[in-house]
Amino acid sequence: MSEVKISAELRTEFGKGGARRTRRAGKVPAVLYGHGEKPKHIALPAREFAAALRHGGINQVFAIDLSDGTQALALPKAIQKDPIKDSFEHVDLLLVRRGEKVTVDVPVIVVGEAARGTLVMHELDRMSVTAEALHLPENLEASVEGLEAGSQVTAAQLKLPSGVELVSDPEAIIAVVSVAPSAEQLEGETEAAETEAAEAVEEPTENVPAEATAES
Amino acid sequence: MLMPRKPPKGFRKPHHPERSGAAKGGTRVSFGEFGIQALEPAYVTNRQIESARIAMTRHIKRGGKVWINVFPDQAITKKPAETRMGSGKGSPEWWVANIKPGRILFEMSFPNETIAREAMRRAIHKLPMKCRIVTREVGEV
Repeated sequence: MSEVKISAELRTEFGKGGARRTRRAGKVPAVLYGHGEKPKHIALPAREFAAALRHGGINQVFAIDLSDGTQALALPKAIQKDPIKDSFEHVDLLLVRRGEKVTVDVPVIVVGEAARGTLVMHELDRMSVTAEALHLPENLEASVEGLEAGSQVTAAQLKLPSGVELVSDPEAIIAVVSVAPSAEQLEGETEAAETEAAEAVEEPTENVPAEATAES
Repeated sequence: MLMPRKPPKGFRKPHHPERSGAAKGGTRVSFGEFGIQALEPAYVTNRQIESARIAMTRHIKRGGKVWINVFPDQAITKKPAETRMGSGKGSPEWWVANIKPGRILFEMSFPNETIAREAMRRAIHKLPMKCRIVTREVGEV
């Protein structure tokens, strides 16, 4: 994955008000730190930053041109996003050097189709790996092609690109293939819930909402 | 229907839960492939949760799985009709989950996306607030 060039301004105002003004101006407040250097508070252009992440994934390396004339190579370490608006609220950027090995969380995607009549449960969607900062994999693939019910894919079964080492537990389960629930099982669940509700109404206890009774 | 076995002492007749603000957690689809995300604050009762779950499971018929990510743990009280004010707080009437915008209420795993979306659309009609269907996007921030 190659780095993306992006320009950034040094922030002069901080706190809630300053951060909101930065966001209103179409920028993302960010902080740049690492290698024992003093943190720098910067503002990144929101559109360019979002486009870079959309194409390069969460571990996109940025070559940042700062407004004070300096340059830095950085990797997003923590990204805060608004769950409703999907806009970026704040970004933590970690300084990296060319050739330096870093530990990052890489997305794991499930590929292939399991056997007929099965349901694939994707348990873990990120794995910790160590790799060179400029050669981080965009994602790792866990294949469930032709797997029968009862089988599972563990982290050790992932095919890692060269130069990438797994940090997470190799026994960690990424995907489980189980028998797809039948119509009777789903309907049974509904019936059980209805029976439970009926019993709760028949035997009112302290936790069951009392019927409205007229108070004199 | 979902409800606590026995509310802790002092929580049988609580004040109305806070409705302002956005969800702090539970805003990502973590178990299934699709999810129903709340866009407005609301008190969702155990009946509404159950109704939405039934709407979903009856539509997908078989071959899928549904997760309920919220639990109605707050009691809402009501004074009986034609009662004069005073004489203490009313009796617990409903159990609700206090939902804030951004919260994922249900998740679903199903091989066919069209059927899954239709099932979730039907479930949204049983809920008291605006919702949207979201997908689990691996690698998304």
